[in-house]
Amino acid sequence: MAELKISPFRRTQVLKSQIDEMLDVVSQGALTYKHGIEHYVRHGWDETAEQKFRQVCEFEDRGDNLRGAIGQALYTEMLLPDTSGDVLGLLSSLDRLLDDMMHGFMILRIERPEIPPEFHDTWIECAGLAVDTVEQVVVAARSYFRDPKTARDHIHKIHFYESETEDTALRIMEQLFASDLPLDRKMQLRGHVWLIDRVADVADDAGDALAIYAVKRSV
Amino acid sequence: MGLTFLVFLSSGLFLGWSLGANDAANVFGTAVGSRMLRFVTAAGVCAVFVVLGSVISGAGASRGLGELGRVNALGGSFTVALGAALTVYGMTKLGLPVSTTQAIVGGIVGWNVFSGTPTDLGALSRIVGTWIAAPLLGALFALVLYRATERAIHHIKPHLLWLDQWTRIGLLAAGAFGAYSLGANNIANVVGVFVPASPFGDLSIGGVFTLTGHQRLFLMGGLAIAVGTFFSRRVMLTVGRSIVTVGPVGGWVVVMAQALVLLIFSSQSLEAFVVRLGLPPIPLVPVSSSQAVVGAVCGLALARGIKGARQIKWTVLRNIALGWVATPALAAAITYVALYFVQNVFEQPVYQVVTGVAGG
Repeated sequence: MAELKISPFRRTQVLKSQIDEMLDVVSQGALTYKHGIEHYVRHGWDETAEQKFRQVCEFEDRGDNLRGAIGQALYTEMLLPDTSGDVLGLLSSLDRLLDDMMHGFMILRIERPEIPPEFHDTWIECAGLAVDTVEQVVVAARSYFRDPKTARDHIHKIHFYESETEDTALRIMEQLFASDLPLDRKMQLRGHVWLIDRVADVADDAGDALAIYAVKRSV
Repeated sequence: MGLTFLVFLSSGLFLGWSLGANDAANVFGTAVGSRMLRFVTAAGVCAVFVVLGSVISGAGASRGLGELGRVNALGGSFTVALGAALTVYGMTKLGLPVSTTQAIVGGIVGWNVFSGTPTDLGALSRIVGTWIAAPLLGALFALVLYRATERAIHHIKPHLLWLDQWTRIGLLAAGAFGAYSLGANNIANVVGVFVPASPFGDLSIGGVFTLTGHQRLFLMGGLAIAVGTFFSRRVMLTVGRSIVTVGPVGGWVVVMAQALVLLIFSSQSLEAFVVRLGLPPIPLVPVSSSQAVVGAVCGLALARGIKGARQIKWTVLRNIALGWVATPALAAAITYVALYFVQNVFEQPVYQVVTGVAGG
């Protein structure tokens, strides 16, 4: 089937909408992940947790499709010749964030560990901080596309939230191993905390890359 | 007579072809090298606007070159253009920076010496002055344009994709403007020396508009430059990649600055406007587009402060300055020797003795 030719202005508008949607998907995926974790910690795996998991999977799937479509459009239409590599690198980082959140949620769905009540609040706090890190990446990415000089204002917040997530995760792990829980449960719960912390780590890496992309754009 | 003129004009057309093949890169090199525009699109637009610039606005710079020396025999015009073309070819082969403008000026001075015609030092100093002024003006325009563009982008904050889209359109428009200015200014290099000996008369096209004899000559030269642009792919990519560090927006600034410089030294309307303001007239003479581009790139670097100034390759500037001296001197020497051969070996008249020599 012959490809439909569209005007350069229409093509730019479509691509811009896809990039905006990708950023929205990451942000919505992160919020859903946060609510899902919070619900699981408080109520265990039920219909609502299952629904949140499905939503995160859908966001991850949509992110994959958008990244592929944007990458194909950038290369086939020879758009952004000097920055297409950076844009694709950024979108890959964002897609990886969705992957990691879905992966952590999936392991939770498979193992369904029982989280002792004394850890509920810090556990939710840790997931919330990890999601804040992701949210700041999305905000910085939006700045990168519009005003690269201000991206820096958001990137330092990424590092801050990542550091806070790490401290909270460390605190949970220390408390876990100081508790009377059996070793197998300690190790299982530590693994889940590590999966949450990993989301913040990946977001931090995306922030580092974004800082370089922003400098390159303003040169 | 027509065929004889065409045979003699061939050296000028060859010079035009080489000018198109080299200088089109200054206009569209950044856009093609950075893959913002396809080569075929760039060459097509360049060809059309070079011809338009040559025919519509080519008279000014051509008149300025004529003040330096009125080559009054076809054999002389042929030899001067050939001497300039050989200089450009030789210097390019040696990898030295070269300007068609400086080569043709050197050729005319060589003809003046050979024919015993006194060189108008006033006209010569005006032309040499523009060789210094052109890169300086290029730098100044680039600096101002860069600051203004940077401020506008910072204020509007366009999405990266829209910035890309507008930059493409800007590069195409600036390239068309640059090609028009190149044709208007540099057509004098290509066929300027043939003007006094031109056999063309006015030609009415369908009763709609009339091409003067000079415009018919400029049209031929313009077409030669236009053909040359389609052979400029390699040079475009080389120029584009060597300037690509400036980025597409910086590329737009460079092309606009260069086009403005060329326009200033070829626009008769602008000259008249300046005179009306009571200011000294702008010398309408051919200037080197390459030097205007180099000046613009330096201006762009300076606009970025000390960090940008450090990126300027001073050895390149030194080579260009050496080229200012070497190119006209070499062209004058080659033309002098070639005139001797054409006159004494091929027995062609290369000048007519006149009692009163027109001065500038």
